Amino acid sequence: MILTAPGLRVGADLGAHLAAGGGAGLAAALRDPAAIIPVIEAAGLRGLGGAGFPTHRKWGAVAAQPGPGKWVLCNGNEDEPGTFKDRFLLAETPHQVIEGALLAALAVRAAHVALYVNPREAATVATLRDAAACWSGHPLLAEVARAVGEPVAIAVVESSGLYIGGEETAAVASVEGRFPFPSLKPPFPAEAGVHGRPTLVNNVETLAQAGHILAHGADWYRALGRGGAAGTKLFSLSGDVLRPGLHELPMGTTLRELVFDHGGGILGGRAFKAVFTGGPSNTLLTAADLDAPMDFDGLRARGSRLGTGAMIVVGEGTSILRKTAEYVAFFAASSCGQCPPCKIGTFQVARLLERIEAGTGRPGDLAALRNLAALLPGSGRCGLVDGAATVLASSLRTFPEEYARAVRG
Amino acid sequence: MIPWDQALANRAARAPAPPAAASLPKDSLLAGFHPDHAPGAMEPLRIGASAGQNCPAALAALLHANALVEDLDIAGAPVLDAEVLVIGAGGAGCVAALTAARAGARVLLATKLRMGDGNTVMAEGGIQAAVGAEDSLQRHFDDTLRAGHFRADRALVAALVSDGPEAIRWLIREGMEFDLEDGAARIGGHLFRKKPGGATAARLLSHRDYTGLEMMRVLREAVLLTPGITVLERHPAVELLTDPHGGCAGAVLLDLEARRLVLARSGATLIATGGAGRLHLSGFPTSNHYGATADGLVLAYRLGAALREIESFQYHPTGIAWPPHLTGTLISEAARAAGGVLLNGLGQRFVEELGPRDVVAAAILREIAEGRGVARDGCAGVLLDTPGLEEAQPGILGKRLVTLTHLAHRAGFDPAQQPFLIRPTLHYQNGGIAIDAAGRTGVPGLLCAGEASGGLHGANRLMGNALLECVAFGRRAGAAAAEALRQDRPRGVGVAHLAAWERGLVAAGLPLDRRAPMLFPGYGNVDLGAVLPRARVAA
Repeated sequence: MILTAPGLRVGADLGAHLAAGGGAGLAAALRDPAAIIPVIEAAGLRGLGGAGFPTHRKWGAVAAQPGPGKWVLCNGNEDEPGTFKDRFLLAETPHQVIEGALLAALAVRAAHVALYVNPREAATVATLRDAAACWSGHPLLAEVARAVGEPVAIAVVESSGLYIGGEETAAVASVEGRFPFPSLKPPFPAEAGVHGRPTLVNNVETLAQAGHILAHGADWYRALGRGGAAGTKLFSLSGDVLRPGLHELPMGTTLRELVFDHGGGILGGRAFKAVFTGGPSNTLLTAADLDAPMDFDGLRARGSRLGTGAMIVVGEGTSILRKTAEYVAFFAASSCGQCPPCKIGTFQVARLLERIEAGTGRPGDLAALRNLAALLPGSGRCGLVDGAATVLASSLRTFPEEYARAVRG
Repeated sequence: MIPWDQALANRAARAPAPPAAASLPKDSLLAGFHPDHAPGAMEPLRIGASAGQNCPAALAALLHANALVEDLDIAGAPVLDAEVLVIGAGGAGCVAALTAARAGARVLLATKLRMGDGNTVMAEGGIQAAVGAEDSLQRHFDDTLRAGHFRADRALVAALVSDGPEAIRWLIREGMEFDLEDGAARIGGHLFRKKPGGATAARLLSHRDYTGLEMMRVLREAVLLTPGITVLERHPAVELLTDPHGGCAGAVLLDLEARRLVLARSGATLIATGGAGRLHLSGFPTSNHYGATADGLVLAYRLGAALREIESFQYHPTGIAWPPHLTGTLISEAARAAGGVLLNGLGQRFVEELGPRDVVAAAILREIAEGRGVARDGCAGVLLDTPGLEEAQPGILGKRLVTLTHLAHRAGFDPAQQPFLIRPTLHYQNGGIAIDAAGRTGVPGLLCAGEASGGLHGANRLMGNALLECVAFGRRAGAAAAEALRQDRPRGVGVAHLAAWERGLVAAGLPLDRRAPMLFPGYGNVDLGAVLPRARVAA
């Protein structure tokens, strides 16, 4: 596959990256900057941070805004339980990411490139800083600046490390040096982002794909996917599988293939039970979904979402109730507190789940949970409370017997 | 083998000691006759933090086993929160719980059987501490290292011996009584000191020949009278809990009366579960109590703690060999310390009785293996000459060796008339969970004290150092646990480490359906199947 190909896993060494064939996408883009967005559109690249929004439309929107001083914000906050793809790219192959960010800056004519990274792993941040320093004064960067029409600067910005800092308006606030509070949209960052300037916010993985698309063409990229889906996807496989880890597979690969062929099946020969995807803030996938193609549209058709590509597998010996309680507690602790329904609602749900999990729940608690799951969605500035409500509603609907058993004691 | 009656006649004839040529150098004696060195007794561990280390096969089977519970079993289980969880309520566990509670921690003290129901109460000989005028900490240090064949951790031994005098003061303040020198005033007298086997000075302090029982008496009272400690009896730990960073966050307990699982969440967890005698390594009888099934070792190892000297076990030289219903029961070293000698079937002494335990045990096994042992009703052993002792020091059996005399009566004979038939018995786990001088294991939040821990005794423990370890390291680990306690409530506490463990089992080609900890020896016929379905396939 492309993002995880061993040849480009060179760490901060730019010379090695270029020698291994890196930089070809940027070179191609420099030959015809006007063609970048149409190629990205033809390739069918979508936002791989979870939203799946068509990338070319974001890029087009920022390109249409007047300069100077536009921003490209490469989002590497990644703090969702079960997601570990961006940290891999930033640590192992940071120049793929930087190349993609420069390509985006070229396409939208941005002067500032912010590599926004979670400070959790100091070694990753250090590698990224070393990698970014390699570009200063490099002829390729000078060429980009010439095409953009103003000097282009690459900066590494450490995030707060908080989950909420990954939301795009919160990321903008963070880069400005403020607390990562999400804000209402519109205005979208594409119109008024960092310091009020038009800002392109893309996930690390999305940007890393762009270089390969420009280097090899849209048709080549589309052909990597399966069915109607384009390209490849990094799946963070974890939970009750024999071989957890990061797998780059064609977009549209089935869940069965991921879990049983690449993951080695369920640990200890237990039966497959369910998968928490994405945030983990989406509807649970169950055995009925094993043959669903894992791409944005395929999982949406099943009422769920691909999300970040995190697949947290649950085998027969693991409790859905305990997992749900753990994730909702995570969302409750991660709520920034701006929107009362989110602040109070996630706290209430977490409290009820904790009570049920500790064997002191009452039957009325289940009704309260169902009520909250129906009431909460759509009540926040960002999607945090929606995610918590979705995963709660889905587990209540799909595994009611686990809740009933815990309440009975 | 020499028949019993013939052996008694030989004893009465007072045979001379054998020529010096008959005695073997220490090293070849141990290599040839100590059970640790028997061919096939050991196998290397295949997974875990100490993979590659040699380990008795029966213990390796437990260390290689899968868990008794999984995530689904603990959903809906009642939760207890504490700052410090102590697993095991023998000497070390009670000392640790007391220390942590007095440092201000809310302590949960959980035990498989009942408080004090362990090996501590069976410690007869005494407790070592360098309190004599002619003695020194350095000599205690040297003696301990030498007895352990220089394999003990020097920093741990230094901590142990330098805590000695203070440990005795602490015990006295708690109300423990020690034997005083003859003629000493009841108040302000001097402690009576005996010379323990393997030591170079009189350093063994005792209370008659039930020192451990006296110690446990005061510890038990202190625990019950300390408000910060909640005691959970008949609550064995069946698994440890982890936080998302891999640290220990408490334990899954099995409430044997309500027959359900309970989660005990804690900031610091201290393992004081004692040893492994009830595994009956190499088929040996044991002096250990019913609960000594290595549970703590199994749980800590599964969570990533390293083990050391786990291939080394102490066989106490003088376990009862006859009558069969008392097999394995200990006759304290106090008998030999007081001058009692060992005789083979020819009526000869064959070993310096107060040598290190491993050497004396190997010498006894050699006499039996080479046909100079004594056989009585199919039980093989050598003689402990109690009539000779009573003859030399009239009244000693009745006054000082109370437990020994009591045992003889249970066996149906008078020790002043008849010698004991004895044989080495599986007594002590020399190694265990690797710790530092504060009792911390390599796993954050997990501490260990007492026989379950390793590094203090090297490959052989000196008598009297076990009780000292309980007090010295119980206090050290208890204090460290109280310091380590977490202020914020841990989130995401569960048994996530079991998935990694199962992956390791699969990679090593080990079976997934063997389960541990054992909790109760097989002959106990305790049926855990109804509450722990997976316990049916024991390791």
